[in-house]
Amino acid sequence: MTADTAATMAVREPSLARDLIALTKPRIISLLLLTTLAPMFVAGTPSWAVILWTGIGGYLMAGGANAVNMYLDRDIDHVMARTRLRPIPSGRMAARAVLAFGVAIATAATWLLGHYVNVLTAALALSGFYFYVFVYTQWLKRTTPQNIVLGGAAGAFPPLVGWAAVNGRVDLASIYLFLIIFYWTPPHFWALALIKQHDYGRAGVPMAPNIWGEHETIDQMLWYTVLLIGLTVLPVTFGVFGTFYLASALVLGGILLQGVWRIRALAARGELWTAAAWKVYKFSLLYLALLFVAMAVDRHI
Amino acid sequence: MPVPVPVPLLFWICITLVVVAQLLILRSTVRAMRASSSASARRTIEWAYAVVPMVVLAVVLVATWQASRDHGTRQDMEARANQTSAS
Repeated sequence: MTADTAATMAVREPSLARDLIALTKPRIISLLLLTTLAPMFVAGTPSWAVILWTGIGGYLMAGGANAVNMYLDRDIDHVMARTRLRPIPSGRMAARAVLAFGVAIATAATWLLGHYVNVLTAALALSGFYFYVFVYTQWLKRTTPQNIVLGGAAGAFPPLVGWAAVNGRVDLASIYLFLIIFYWTPPHFWALALIKQHDYGRAGVPMAPNIWGEHETIDQMLWYTVLLIGLTVLPVTFGVFGTFYLASALVLGGILLQGVWRIRALAARGELWTAAAWKVYKFSLLYLALLFVAMAVDRHI
Repeated sequence: MPVPVPVPLLFWICITLVVVAQLLILRSTVRAMRASSSASARRTIEWAYAVVPMVVLAVVLVATWQASRDHGTRQDMEARANQTSAS
């Protein structure tokens, strides 16, 4: 064994700390944090303390929701290749310990946000937690192919949290940021669901491609993308954003639409669309990140 | 930075896109529900799931129309005030 191999194995070896971090799904949270923090710069000029506490509180709340989600989904996580290596199905952590960890960090987040930011911010973050855990994971996920559509609301809370942290209220502009994420979720997640549909089928999760079929799902991805482009431009019409944001929204929306259109064209011709769906899935992450950065930049130029 | 496109035109283009896309989503959902062999009680729930976002969106669009009109009025008043002070 070379020194390099030993070092790599040491890095990848499971540890409690690494498992606790994995329970919070840090890669997903990075986008949630961006969609929390960028709206703060749209809402006004936040102090460093408010940015810091909102960031920490937001991470802990989302992390807590993700950990509780892993507890609730422990019966299907071992069935799906995508989730088989998570701490519970792989046997590295006890289910109850995961639940306790999730509830503990979400409780800490509620206190931190309520104490150091404001009560509305804490209430909105906690609403996002409850929506994700009870409405999406426990209710919608296993009962309807529209799980992703309505469940998208859970991931749409972060901009409301960021906005309320600065302004202490929720207004039309912040509701638009919520709606943008809500309507972005179906084309984003269905691109992944199309690729992983057999995995979801084995686990008994009624994702749209499994229930409605590929054709109907791809059609809806297209209409959701068109709707999303319209929604991203509408805040310009009541003076929230200007030319820089408008151009960014149109260019990014155009690229996303082209990607979804390509999946549809390939599927219509009976050709392999998996690579195109992966591209849409990955680009949709970049799309949302860049759109929210463009919002913050637009307000300060 | 002000946008180089007439705001009312932009507003109505976006509203058209949003409304048409939402109706096509509803049509596609209804088509998918009819094709599946689910019980009628299940279909009613699926209907509700499809309609709830539409209702929320409609309320937001009405609020946007009012906000957009107010924004236009404010811009007109500012332009008139600037003209008066210049002359």
